Amino acid sequence: MASELRIVRSAQPGSAAPLRHALEAFMVALGVAPTVRIDIVTAVGEALANTIEHAYKGAEKVGDVELVARLDEKASTLAVEIIDHGTFIAPKRRRNRGLGLGIMKRASQSFTLQTVSGTSVRMLFDAAFLHGPH
Amino acid sequence: MNPEPSIGVITLNGELDIARKDELRSALSVTQSAHPVLIDLVGVTYADSTALSELLRFSLEAQERNVPVALLAISPQFLRVIEYARLDQALRVFTDRERALEYLHAS
Repeated sequence: MASELRIVRSAQPGSAAPLRHALEAFMVALGVAPTVRIDIVTAVGEALANTIEHAYKGAEKVGDVELVARLDEKASTLAVEIIDHGTFIAPKRRRNRGLGLGIMKRASQSFTLQTVSGTSVRMLFDAAFLHGPH
Repeated sequence: MNPEPSIGVITLNGELDIARKDELRSALSVTQSAHPVLIDLVGVTYADSTALSELLRFSLEAQERNVPVALLAISPQFLRVIEYARLDQALRVFTDRERALEYLHAS
């Protein structure tokens, strides 16, 4: 059973849905419970929307967004990372982005954001809950 | 016997994400009337904060004109994202059509 998903798309608005659907299919294959999939897709959907809207704003060419999801049985986590190579803009300087950040924090167990050569949002979901309601 | 006051209905379907921002904005800019508005989201399966921002903006603008707005939604994802965005007070969300209409008629 595949326990890693890696998918790259151009950071265009139309890429958000296919990326969410790929993640959803990956989680269905892993047997993740529907109620848990909702949290994960909701959190990851925000990170994708954020990247698509802001990462390459003002850039000559729209770059890529990469989604990596990895199930770590040992650490008992599902880690999802959304990576771009654009310019990070602090949420307080954007209109309404505080909303998306709050959703990501509340829907995941752990949330970290790195802004070294692009932006990487990494979210962890507790694998102990993956197969049952919480 | 008083006739029922008329209610404007805006119906949205599918996944409301960043790709549909402009469409959503124009769908939610049609009404300037004084009639209460029901936003029917029964066919919506996913929404992100882009969509929530538009719904919130519409509701707040209507509120300023004393026009009540009710959202009707049943998708588990929609109900959860509303909660995570802490918008369960700012937006009037109903899962039952009758109760949404009751609210609009009473307002």
